[in-house]
Amino acid sequence: MSDQTPDLRAIEAFLYDEANLLDNPDLDRWIELYSEDATYWMPVLPNQQDPLNHISIFYDDRVMMEVRRRNFVHPRAASKDHAVRASHIIGNVRCSGSNEQGDLVVTSNFQCVLYYRREQRLYAGTYLHHLIQSDKGFKIRHKKVNLINCDAPQKTLTIYL
Amino acid sequence: MIEIFDPNTHQPDDAQLASLVQPTKLHRRLYIDEQIFELEMQRIWGEAWIFIGHESQVKNPGDYYTTQINHRIPVILVRDRSGAVNVLHNRCAHKGAKLVDTVEGNARAFRCCYHGWTFNTDGSLLKIPNESGYEGTGFNIQDPSNNLQKVRCASHRGFVFATLSDTAPELNEWLGGAREVLDNLCDRAPDGEVEVAGGVLRYEHDCNWKLFLENLNDTMHPMVTHQSVVQAAEDYIATLPPEASDQRAEAEIIPPFGASYENFEDSGITGFAYGHHYDGGKTSIHANYSVNPDYWAAMLSSYGEQRSKEILSFNTHNTLYYPSLTIKSAVQNIRVMRPVAVDKCIIETWSFRLKGAPDEMLQRTLLYSRLINSSASMVGPDDLEAYSRIQDGLQSNGSDWVEMHRQFNRDKQLADRTVGGGTSDLDMRTQYQAWQAYMGKLAHHIPTGGVSDE
Repeated sequence: MSDQTPDLRAIEAFLYDEANLLDNPDLDRWIELYSEDATYWMPVLPNQQDPLNHISIFYDDRVMMEVRRRNFVHPRAASKDHAVRASHIIGNVRCSGSNEQGDLVVTSNFQCVLYYRREQRLYAGTYLHHLIQSDKGFKIRHKKVNLINCDAPQKTLTIYL
Repeated sequence: MIEIFDPNTHQPDDAQLASLVQPTKLHRRLYIDEQIFELEMQRIWGEAWIFIGHESQVKNPGDYYTTQINHRIPVILVRDRSGAVNVLHNRCAHKGAKLVDTVEGNARAFRCCYHGWTFNTDGSLLKIPNESGYEGTGFNIQDPSNNLQKVRCASHRGFVFATLSDTAPELNEWLGGAREVLDNLCDRAPDGEVEVAGGVLRYEHDCNWKLFLENLNDTMHPMVTHQSVVQAAEDYIATLPPEASDQRAEAEIIPPFGASYENFEDSGITGFAYGHHYDGGKTSIHANYSVNPDYWAAMLSSYGEQRSKEILSFNTHNTLYYPSLTIKSAVQNIRVMRPVAVDKCIIETWSFRLKGAPDEMLQRTLLYSRLINSSASMVGPDDLEAYSRIQDGLQSNGSDWVEMHRQFNRDKQLADRTVGGGTSDLDMRTQYQAWQAYMGKLAHHIPTGGVSDE
């Protein structure tokens, strides 16, 4: 961790880079943006507090991310026969300072248009990123994706948002 | 072309309907015909016992939970002030507005949003605003038709079922021998009871509801459909030191999906009357899960060693209570079928807490649901891909029939059940004998084997 003042432009650029790796999915490079102790969480309830004692749409640690990225490109995964094309727009990026771990707490709004299996869908909500800042740049320790329709019936989602 | 509906009266011909199911094959119209779907909603979903919810969702008087009993009819599960659990039609007795439009909550009474008619939690009419306007009109406030109408309901160990039928057998008889798996799920709790916990995941399926049910005990697909996730998990586990993978429940949950045909054959399939069936028993893909030591200690103190071993060694994989409820007793989750249209259904994944067990047991259940039974898992989406392709492929009239021959002549009839090999199509034959009886208005019977039609 370093004591640099958070540079909002640098944070935004980092979020755009992450989104770019999900737009034309490259999970091998995407996972490198995450720390070894990272978690990726997509709750199923608005204001859900607990990822362990309550079900979630996603709650992956690094191990699950490693399995998922291998599965994503596996030739025998029929659900992956259909390419995912996505377009993320991120805005309203704000940094509210650091948490107890010293990670930068960054919130943003996102919209993602996703094309999969002959169908175009729209996802929208907020991101929460906990970013580890160092001389080498940022790493994501935690990402939480709050969908505005998190408690609606969901369709197959083969990719992180 | 089989004429099922009279072109003038649109009335179905029961014998023709029944002929869509043959001992070892099914007509493709079962999956793609909208009129047949509507009739299924009346004749199967209107006659069978449908899972509504669990008593632990409505612990206190006034607690309610709303759902649908088929693709349309809205109902309320509610505990009234006397403590009794009711299933009520969610329809105001006045103009018909859906009375409660929130999923769950607590109410002292249900008040309609339109004209303020108010009903007790047992469904009885409590109050009509400005009631004097009805004087001398022949309207009788005491007439029970002005109450919220009750749906016939019954429960087994907290699992509440309801039926729109007056003639369906009692729940206990309808569950039959298949009841042993629901009992096993509850017996796995050191306190002998389960409760709903950890929320619900809803997963939209672009397929006919029956395709999901057919997959439950289909053990010829995992090694094909789920090859990728098993290999992805094993490839990654291979990069880890052994002590690291020993710590991970995922390492127990994912690889058995790649088990061999022989392993699945050994698990066996058991079929019952009314379309219920399960696979596993002596063994299943859940059989080698490690036992949490605190849980085992709690079981020992409740049941003693012999009974505890007996409970945990009854190891089923999926159990279907046809057509709406499917349970995994060894994992403590259930999936509930909610049909929507001929080519669309919603699956709800619920989890249960074993009362008296440590929190880690619920956490493993939730992990399992995320890994296997969710829209963003690495298992469920590959199943759904197959169902969707069947839904598309069956539009082809290149052949009218879907086959279910596997091990047809090896089904073995016991007193209240039929048993067969784990890779047989006994599960499908069991479901479709029930389908044929419900739809063709024939008598239900204990499934039996027979002579091949070829």
